[in-house]
Formats: sequence, structure tokens, C-alpha cells
Amino acid sequence: MTLQNLLKIGRLKPHAPTTQEIRRLLAAAERNLVDARAEIISDETRFDAAYKAIMQLALIAMLASGYRPSTSEPGHHQTMIQSLPLTLGLPNATWVVLDALRRKRNVNDYQGDPIEPEAVGECIEQATSLLATTRRWLAEQHPEYL
Amino acid sequence: MSPPSLATHLLGGTRSAVLAALLLHPEAALHVRELARVTGASPGSLHRELRALTALGLLLRQENGRQVNYQANTACPVFEELAGLLRKTVGVADVLRAALMPLADDIDLAFVYGSVAAGQESTRSDVDVMVLGRAGFGVVAQALAPTHGMVQREVNPTVMKPADFRRKCKAGEGFALNVLRGPKLWLIGNDDDLAELAQDRPA
Repeated sequence: MTLQNLLKIGRLKPHAPTTQEIRRLLAAAERNLVDARAEIISDETRFDAAYKAIMQLALIAMLASGYRPSTSEPGHHQTMIQSLPLTLGLPNATWVVLDALRRKRNVNDYQGDPIEPEAVGECIEQATSLLATTRRWLAEQHPEYL
Repeated sequence: MSPPSLATHLLGGTRSAVLAALLLHPEAALHVRELARVTGASPGSLHRELRALTALGLLLRQENGRQVNYQANTACPVFEELAGLLRKTVGVADVLRAALMPLADDIDLAFVYGSVAAGQESTRSDVDVMVLGRAGFGVVAQALAPTHGMVQREVNPTVMKPADFRRKCKAGEGFALNVLRGPKLWLIGNDDDLAELAQDRPA
């Protein structure tokens, strides 16, 4: 699967990125990651904040690559995770963990199963690492947006 | 009455258990007594079943002196299809256990809970796996990732430190108690180990 293929099957749309939106998303992802580390709030909310940062970072990579998710299509979170090896060149081993975190969030949102501390820690760790990867990638590939 | 699992309904309890024991381990040649032990069926009913399955070409019968062993016949034209059906149904536990084995040193207990463990799954049901130990969420998710394709469902791990699970049980938290009391398919450990863990004696 390539970004072009995802465009053809309607999961993505073409997009003309702006410096302002990339910077706004990067600041939001950083803010969410700070919130996720606040131990005073519940595991669920910390997980949600870290997960949101992951989504925002995936969106940055996608926008900067000239695409945006088709939010009218169901499963656009899955598309966002799926796009990470295509945009940032994320290895498969990382991708499968992010996808497991996505399903964890689904199960929590729709069945109310609690989020365990191990999953919170993993989500924060993954978001932290993805932030570093995204910053490095932007500096190398799209310094105009930083 | 809860509906039986797909394989049990299609093939019957004894037959699906015999076929799973042999077709999912095609390298193993088992004696009737061993098959009785792993399937929980009586040797009498197994003899009839094994004769029929051998006559149909699904199994191979090997005589070693006075000992008779049975083994899957991988050359049978429907071997792959039948093994696939069993892997996705009764064999789910086997597939998951094999996937977690490389992490066994860091896992105290692991089991399937929820609808699949209760035998009430629909074809859309995710497989919920509880992993208690010091393995992290990431390595467990990576270990289980290849199983999604093998069992054709999503496999969702919940990973906890044994002490956290014990604390949640003692605090009467609904999710932990449901898991503790609900049906399980054991992957690593057994009910006694879990009962011990859930007590407040030090690990």
C-alpha cells in the first residue's frame, strides 16, 4: 500500500499544507504529551492525551506529505496509523504497537474496559518517541514547516 | 443455553478435540490414552472415532509393536482447510500460547477471557488476552501481532503487573473481578495459580 493507493481508494484526500497548521499541530501534540504525564488525572485520560498526540503527529506527517485523511470515511484512525510507515518510515515493530494502542482505545471507548497502567506507559513512550521522529523528519524533509 | 463454539457445533466436541490435537500438531503421533487425556474423551468412544477418521484418510495409523499411534495425514486433500478451520476456532489458544512462549520468562500467567473464552463468540468477536507479569505492553503486542492473521480476528492484550491485578481484585474493581471469576482459556498457568495470585499473600 502506498499513499497514492490510499488516495485512489478514497481513504486520503490531497492537501496543500501550510506552515501555520503544522506548527499548531506540533504545539498541540507537545501539550497533549505534557498532559499525559500528569499523574493526578486518571489512567484513561492520560492514555487519551498521549493517544491524541500520536494522532496529531501522524497527521503532521501526512499533511506535510501532501495528504489529509478522508474523515467522512469510517476507520480514519486506522488509516492514520497505517500511513506512518509510508510517511515517517516507521518500522513494522513500532507500527504493530501503535495499532494495538488504537484498538485498546476502541475497546475502552465502546466497551468501557479500563486502561491498565502498562498501556498508559506504553502510549506515552510511543508518543514521546514519535514526537522526536517527527521533529527529525520535518527538519530533514520539510524544514520549511518548522 | 449458550451456543457451542463453531467447531464444536460443526464437528461435535470429541471429533473437534481429536482433530485439533492431531491436525494442529501434525508432527505428533499420539497413542489413544494420550488422546483421551488431551481431549477429555473416553478411550472407548475415541477408538470408534479414530477408526472412522483413519478410514476416511484424515489420520494415519501406525503400529509400533503392540502400541498403536495416530497422526495427522498431511497428504489428505482437505488437511489444510480443516487445520485452518480448527486453528481459527478451537486452536486459538494453541496459536496464542505459541506466540507468547518467547516471552515466557517475563510472564507469570496468561489467559483468554471474555466472549471467546466463554464460547459465545461471534465471527466478529475480538480475542481478549490477559497477560500478568513483568513483560511490557509493547513486547506483548508485538508477540501477538502475527496471530491476528492466523486466527482471522483482532487479538487485544491487557498487560498488568500481578501486584496491580491483585490490588484491583481486592479493591473490588468490576473489570478485574469479572476477569477473575469469568471463564478462561489458559495459555500460561492455571486456575490455582490465579487464585493464589489474587490472594494477598506475597508473590
